[in-house]
Amino acid sequence: MWRGYIGLIRKEFIQIRRDRNMLGIIFLMPIIQLLLLGYAVNTDVKQLDIDIYDFDRSTHSREFVRSFEAGDHFVPEEVISHSNTDPVWELAKRFKTSETQLALLIPPNFSEKLTRNENVTVGLIADGSDANAARAGLGYAGQIVRKYSNHVTGMEVPLEIRHNFLYNPELESVYYMIPGIIVTLLTMVTTMLTSMGIVRERETGTLEQISVTPISSHALLAGKITTFAFLGLLEMGLALAVGILWFGIPFAGSPWFLLWVSALYLLTTLGMGTFFSTITSTQQQAMFLAWFFSVFAILTSGFFSPISNMPIWMQNITLLNPMRYFMTVVRGIMMKGSGPADMIPDILAITAYGLTVFTLAAARFRKRTE
Amino acid sequence: MPYLVADSLSRKYGHNLALDDFSLSVNKGELFALLGPDGAGKTTMIRVLCRLLDPDSGSVTINGLDLQQRYDDIKPILGYMPQQFSLYPDLSVEENMTFYAGMYGVTGQAYRDKRDQLYQFSKLGPFAKRRASALSGGMKQKLALSCALIHNPRMLILDEPTTGVDPLSRRQFWETLLQLKSQGVTILVSTPYMDEVARCDRAAFIFGGRKLAEDRPAQLAAAFQGSIFYIDREPTSQLLNQIMSIDGLTTARFGAGMHLYLAPDDSLDPYLNALSQLGLNSSDINPIAPSLEDRFIQLMESPT
Repeated sequence: MWRGYIGLIRKEFIQIRRDRNMLGIIFLMPIIQLLLLGYAVNTDVKQLDIDIYDFDRSTHSREFVRSFEAGDHFVPEEVISHSNTDPVWELAKRFKTSETQLALLIPPNFSEKLTRNENVTVGLIADGSDANAARAGLGYAGQIVRKYSNHVTGMEVPLEIRHNFLYNPELESVYYMIPGIIVTLLTMVTTMLTSMGIVRERETGTLEQISVTPISSHALLAGKITTFAFLGLLEMGLALAVGILWFGIPFAGSPWFLLWVSALYLLTTLGMGTFFSTITSTQQQAMFLAWFFSVFAILTSGFFSPISNMPIWMQNITLLNPMRYFMTVVRGIMMKGSGPADMIPDILAITAYGLTVFTLAAARFRKRTE
Repeated sequence: MPYLVADSLSRKYGHNLALDDFSLSVNKGELFALLGPDGAGKTTMIRVLCRLLDPDSGSVTINGLDLQQRYDDIKPILGYMPQQFSLYPDLSVEENMTFYAGMYGVTGQAYRDKRDQLYQFSKLGPFAKRRASALSGGMKQKLALSCALIHNPRMLILDEPTTGVDPLSRRQFWETLLQLKSQGVTILVSTPYMDEVARCDRAAFIFGGRKLAEDRPAQLAAAFQGSIFYIDREPTSQLLNQIMSIDGLTTARFGAGMHLYLAPDDSLDPYLNALSQLGLNSSDINPIAPSLEDRFIQLMESPT
């Protein structure tokens, strides 16, 4: 019996419109998250501060230092020339105060050895407390040193790699962050809203009042989740719009396919939300559970660090995470333009999860409300 | 003709027996009160009758339909008003009514007619756009009743509808209940107030999850065993204790005075001497008819 379904949805929208705090969370959260993560969680390494300790001060050493100035990677600063103290103390201090991220040490016999065609060792010290920047800095510095060696010896290295990054040639981190944020938002918003929305009705007693009316528990659940699914998708659209219009990220695939997979994935998050509502009695408890689930899902989804970097046992755990599959699919659609045929296993996993979780949650909800 | 029949209902909460072999029957068109103090089991009983709680044993039929098996057929004829205000505080008066009407499938002209009719009794029409959270206690209660009546139920079950409501609203509320009764609605209402029971056709005493008695209000009171005298004296604890220490007499504070209880077949004469020593003369001690409360207290202390 579907009587009351429409009335329920209408009521939900009136309530959402009235709840200014909720409205703020729903519509400001995606924008703030996008701006924060889009700018702050930037794994691109550019403009690294590098201190130059040139103990040689020859034409050669200056030429070598200048090669660090070319390009966008380093901001070199000559330190030894204006330092009156022991350079080693100076170096330790500047790392501690984070005035620099890298230090290049050029030995006094740099020029002399080069002209005699001997091997020269230069020192490069990196601040390992920021492992990402340190690793990138060492990589860039290695390239520069190789180029400079070629230039000095006039010899080409016999083997050379020409690389090309598919789908994201500039390796812009925002390109893969935004699909990740969209997945995160859709998960958090729908799980939280569903669990809190149902528990709130239980707290105020309205769920009980509804349960003496003839509306069926199916229609009741459907009315609640339709609203939250709609809000989740709206939120996703908003995040996409900001990503495309503000950050200029590409959207290679089909929006309709994305909508279709998202709807399938929503079965899982709405189901989790419904399930949480059946095992909690206050909105705080429901929110905490939804939050815990979301954090687990986000951390094991490959959002921040690639799943292939994790230890094997952790990789196996990620297989339990429905968000992992959805993450793959959304990145595939947005960045690579993948279609349904390219991602059959992931789509099957999302479908299986959705149907199982939702069916079980709906059965539990039915048992608790009837 | 019985419209609602509860047959030996029992329900445990942990080790606590909230309902103990409780039976009652409410006749069609009757206004029936379930009277008992807080914690007596009234709410448990009402929740079982609305199938919000399953009993451990026993059964309920409404209009001849079994509550467990025919709940879907009972829902349209049943109206329920819980003790706690359970409407949407963030929706307006009218939005709440529209919503519950929709849940019962009352829409269009049928809804508008019913709404206007309910506004006439509740006088909530001018507040149609006001949020439920901003209503006064009495208005909230009228709105809750309106929502419970939106589908023209034939059986109305109310859980302490007048608790925490001001005296004027309370009186208006009972007038509404009598009006509904005159329209043929069968009503079961729980209450801790003895005075409200007088307006009902019949009532049941509930205490400790058990039914102590079930009858018409006048009969319930008249069933008092023994006789009662009113002592027109300030009921100080000292005086109460002194009277209680006289063998064969019991007493209780009653308003500004005291009630003196005598066992059946006993008379006041043998005690007059002892009482006069406490400064109580026979002119201060007058026989009165037992009230519901007297009978309730008697049943609570020695259920027979």
